Amino acid sequence: MSTTTLAGVPPQQVRPIPWRSLAWVIWRRQRTTTLTILGILGLLAIYLLVSGLQMRSAWNTVQACTPVHSSACQFAWENFRNAHSNPGIVSAVFIFAPLLIGAFAGAPLIGRDLETGTFRYAWTQGVGRLRWAVALLVPGAIAVGVLTGAFGALIAWHDHPLWEADVASRLQASEFPTTGIAIVGWSLAAFSLGVLAGYLWRRVLPALATAIGIGFGLALATSKLRFRYMAPLRTKSLDFVTGSQTVQQWWEKAGAVVSNRDLNTALQSAGIQQIDIGNGGNTTVTASPSNGVDPITYLLQHGYQQWTSYQPSSRYWRFQWIEFGWLTALAVLLLAATFLLIRRRDA
Amino acid sequence: MTTVIETCELGKNYGRVVALTGCTLDVPEGQLVALVGPNGAGKSTLLNLVVGLAAPTSGTVSVLDGVPAGSPPALDGIAFVAQDMPLYRQLSALDMIHLTRNLNQRFDDAFARRRLEDLAIPGRQKTGKLSGGQRAQLALTLALARRPRLLVLDEPTASLDPLARHDFMATVMTAMAEDGVSVLLSSHVLAELERVADHLILISHGRVHLNGAVEDLRDRHRLVTGPRDQPGDPEWRTIQQSTAGVQSHRLVEVANPGPPPSGWEARPVSLEELTMAYLREDARTARTSTLEAIR
Repeated sequence: MSTTTLAGVPPQQVRPIPWRSLAWVIWRRQRTTTLTILGILGLLAIYLLVSGLQMRSAWNTVQACTPVHSSACQFAWENFRNAHSNPGIVSAVFIFAPLLIGAFAGAPLIGRDLETGTFRYAWTQGVGRLRWAVALLVPGAIAVGVLTGAFGALIAWHDHPLWEADVASRLQASEFPTTGIAIVGWSLAAFSLGVLAGYLWRRVLPALATAIGIGFGLALATSKLRFRYMAPLRTKSLDFVTGSQTVQQWWEKAGAVVSNRDLNTALQSAGIQQIDIGNGGNTTVTASPSNGVDPITYLLQHGYQQWTSYQPSSRYWRFQWIEFGWLTALAVLLLAATFLLIRRRDA
Repeated sequence: MTTVIETCELGKNYGRVVALTGCTLDVPEGQLVALVGPNGAGKSTLLNLVVGLAAPTSGTVSVLDGVPAGSPPALDGIAFVAQDMPLYRQLSALDMIHLTRNLNQRFDDAFARRRLEDLAIPGRQKTGKLSGGQRAQLALTLALARRPRLLVLDEPTASLDPLARHDFMATVMTAMAEDGVSVLLSSHVLAELERVADHLILISHGRVHLNGAVEDLRDRHRLVTGPRDQPGDPEWRTIQQSTAGVQSHRLVEVANPGPPPSGWEARPVSLEELTMAYLREDARTARTSTLEAIR
């Protein structure tokens, strides 16, 4: 304990702290958060398992029903559809799960140290702030990705009968981002948003709110933009391929698009009840026939043609990779920005 | 002589606020350096620059014989105990020891555990539940167990009662005597530094007003009393003066430590009188310059 031992290590030969030592530190610090997230996910997983098994047995019963076109079987099938077509409040939890898990894991990682002042301890240890940040963020991101990936697989397993029964499309907004690898992308994006917001706010709660808010806005925008990943297919057929997702429906006459107003004018002049103008760009013909003429039949007979653009179910994995790709790229950018800020700027 | 801190025209702005400017210092090894000044003077800013938590806006700061502040060898050789003793409140004292050991290349585990026992700090208690004095001692123990060449303490005794304050300083002094560790300590409690400081740096309004060995500063300054209408020694540089009746009291910087002119009495100054005089003078000139700026 004399000064000779202190000066024993020449300044230029300072060895970096081994990652193994840091792993213990990170685990000890993040134990509570990790166990909390695991606990919540565990409960949700149990729910999914039980509900999934029940649904599977119900679906198996429906499928085993013979003869298929008998009224009893049709009734059983309708019954299954009705029972599961409204996914209920619990499925809303699953839509938010990747965002919430990512944000809750990310926001405190740097933010807590800045909020409580313990960064003055952590960033002045021999390890250095950059190595410390790498040891926090890289395993954090991997853990979040793996965990949500497994969770997404469980959701996909749970929802599989719904996709088979065409109750839900795996491309639809409530299914697509919570399954496959898109869920991994969303959780990583939310994680890195939380990390950066935690650094910038220097407080956990506002960072959490920011990450969830931005993540939610991004998810909302993506639910509209997702169907532009590839040019949608078009069909004249009124009942198109199972499992696909409708993008838009419209009417044409002689190759030109007919507006809803013109369509209604045509129907009114023929004395037929007008059709319902659907929301968005979708024109859905819902009116029941009045004075004996079905509006759709009328329109089809008079040279009008209904078109539907859609994304086929077979594009699911290609879309998954596209969504995973840009979300992960975003996450990498945000984390890289955080590293740069931590390295360059004042604490 | 080797230096533990060397700054050259060091400056730091936070946005438009100038926290520190034109700071040129040279701190030799093996000393207890007291950094004093009023709140908001720039003490913490200077300490943050030295330990690498902040980056300079202008100028340079190097530590431990020319190593850039904040670089790996600098982090390795400097232990910092920040204001209010930041510790992970959810972790126990023993966990904090384990944590600090894993975050550093060098760590004297036996020393840390022995100190914990000597201080009667319960090892399994969460640090958030320790008393202020215990937390300060734990933070200091963690810092010393790293066997640093330089120990930097930011207002370490501000929140401690007199007894805890005494114990804390005793630990620091022991480490200096036994391990030869250099200490840079910021404080606005002047009385406790009087006996222990080797070197004094006085900061006010982001500027260094006084910097030197305490012995030297004491030698160079005198409190003189004499007739009001007499100028005194022409070589005196008056730092501060006050008049009472026909008497004039001045704190002066003297060129040579000889006896004062006839009619004048001189006595040595205490560190407290010295720093107070410089701070009052700085406050007065700051006021004057503000008034001039307004005109």
